[in-house]
Amino acid sequence: MRVFRVQINGTIHVVSLEQKGKNQFRATLNGVPFEAEAASNGNITTWLVRSESESTHAHARNLPNDRVDVWIACIPFATIVQAIGLGGYAAAPEVRRHTSGGQVRALMPGRITSILVKEGESVSEGAALLILEAMKMQNEIAAPTNGKVKAIFVREGDVVKKDSPLVAIE
Amino acid sequence: MKLFIANRGEIALRIIRTCHRLGVRTVLAFSEPDRESLPMRYANERYPLDGSTPSETYLNIEKLVKGARETDCDAVHPGYGFLSEDPSFVEACYENGLIFIGPSSRTLAKLGNKLQARKTMSENGIPVIPGSEGALRDEEEAVSVSEKTGYPVIIKAVYGGGGRGMRIARDKDDVRKFFRVTLLEAQAAFGRGEIYVERRLTKPRHIEIQALADGHGKVISLGERECSIQRRHQKLLEEAPSVALGQKLRDELTDAALRGLSAAAYKNAGTVEFLVEEDGAFYFLEINKRLQVEHLVTELTTRLDIVEEQLNVAANDTLSLSQNEIKVAGWAINCRINAEDPRQGFIPIPGLVARYHAPSGPGVRVDSALFSGCSISEYYDSLIAKLATWGTDRTQAIERMKVALEETEIIGLPTTVPLHRELMQDEDFVRGQFDTTFLDDFLPRLDSTIAGYERLAAVIAAVEKARSPPTWLDKAEGQSRWRAAARAQQMDRGNGPGRQS
Repeated sequence: MRVFRVQINGTIHVVSLEQKGKNQFRATLNGVPFEAEAASNGNITTWLVRSESESTHAHARNLPNDRVDVWIACIPFATIVQAIGLGGYAAAPEVRRHTSGGQVRALMPGRITSILVKEGESVSEGAALLILEAMKMQNEIAAPTNGKVKAIFVREGDVVKKDSPLVAIE
Repeated sequence: MKLFIANRGEIALRIIRTCHRLGVRTVLAFSEPDRESLPMRYANERYPLDGSTPSETYLNIEKLVKGARETDCDAVHPGYGFLSEDPSFVEACYENGLIFIGPSSRTLAKLGNKLQARKTMSENGIPVIPGSEGALRDEEEAVSVSEKTGYPVIIKAVYGGGGRGMRIARDKDDVRKFFRVTLLEAQAAFGRGEIYVERRLTKPRHIEIQALADGHGKVISLGERECSIQRRHQKLLEEAPSVALGQKLRDELTDAALRGLSAAAYKNAGTVEFLVEEDGAFYFLEINKRLQVEHLVTELTTRLDIVEEQLNVAANDTLSLSQNEIKVAGWAINCRINAEDPRQGFIPIPGLVARYHAPSGPGVRVDSALFSGCSISEYYDSLIAKLATWGTDRTQAIERMKVALEETEIIGLPTTVPLHRELMQDEDFVRGQFDTTFLDDFLPRLDSTIAGYERLAAVIAAVEKARSPPTWLDKAEGQSRWRAAARAQQMDRGNGPGRQS
């Protein structure tokens, strides 16, 4: 159970969440339960929401500094969302950068079809490290900097999520 | 024939559609911010205007005429707003051998400002709102005319338009107080300080007659439009026909409109606007000498293509249609979707449209230049889409509009969509009981609907936060709030970009 404090137009709402599946949540606000399911990916998520009295859809966009924009029936709501207590955030990293701290991350979800480097190998900026197959396309993942391959976190055939760490370079 | 389009956005696209159906080639003039706009993809050729502000681009007669000549165009379509009613633009076109899709410069001059139009109409026996005969000489004259007319009165700029340059005075002191301010404002905003005064009707409807004229005395009516749903004297929703007109009153308005246009030897599509009081008394308001924003509702009820008729009249100098061929059928409603926040006094909010989904289905028409990822520039009008529905009767048109509005998704900016959704639920609107003051009382209801969604918004915000990492917006999107603030300030100073009625 995770609990979030949501501020909209000066009013505070406390929402508790239970994750039911990858994109499915059960939320409770003032004792009223809601079922929410993310219908598509991308910068803007489409949510299908159901409560006892209503069934509707909405759009949302998670922004830095705890800002979350929500649109219901074309009405925009600017909100500030903060986790209360532990474990507020999902496993996904907070900042979407594909190289952070020398780590190369997956730009998109997909399957690792081949690994082109070995641990300990020196690579130069732009050199191909591995091939990530996504949407039937072979995507070469390149070294962001010159350096040495410190660790490889995936094996050929692995299916990775977006932003999963792939290779560490130092 | 090759046509130069001296406009942008949805109306440029609207004109292109008809041209390409008729085999007319199109050249689209474009400003820097419009480089990636939707009509750019469809025009046969594009002509850069090198600049961003309206005065550098769509208001620049020299550049537009040069563009039309360089691209070997035969004619110029001005769309609405910008230079569509500017006699000097018309003259510049003719001096350069270009046909202007609109009335002659002589007609424009004759009907050019509100006072001249008023005089022309009055001379032809069309009732005008009681008020001053000419421009007011001074404060004393303003007071004496107002006393004679009866309060409240509206003090108006002769060269004003689009709901700007007017003030309501409730007594003698108000007239004295507002006379000078209105004059100074008119000078600043329209370059001409002439002002006049007329009685303010308390709860009138705004009803207009759409006409086509050939310039040789043949004038026909395509029926009326009801445009009473307005905010700040700017239309938000139009329909055709009007619930307020019985056949007798419809005939009287039509007769007055056609008489007025004949007297001015009018040529082109034109609209005569009236204010109609509850008892059926009506007064001439103004003539719109161009294709109007809301022309699509008339197209839906008459099944005509008004742009095609404009091109025909301009090319052949005659009107092929006759009055008995015009049959008005069913009912059409148009909702103007503006990039504005109804909750903040309708301030325009430019920025990026992150997602767009247009409604569809039987009897639905969308005129818009929107696409997912398009940007709404702060330089131009905030109208971003026109959503129209047609039904066999008014009830069906409203039901279709309700469904179409539910399907409409414009994500990224506040728009007038929620307001229209609310309107379609309103008992008085559905019964056809409204006048030009309707929206003032209506807005607070929108607030309560929005508040009703707040809990749901909180739930969505929480699940979104839990599911996905934050997205860094690109520069343009991040700036939109600042631009909106700057634009709001500009509006307050009364020199915001022009807007069309």
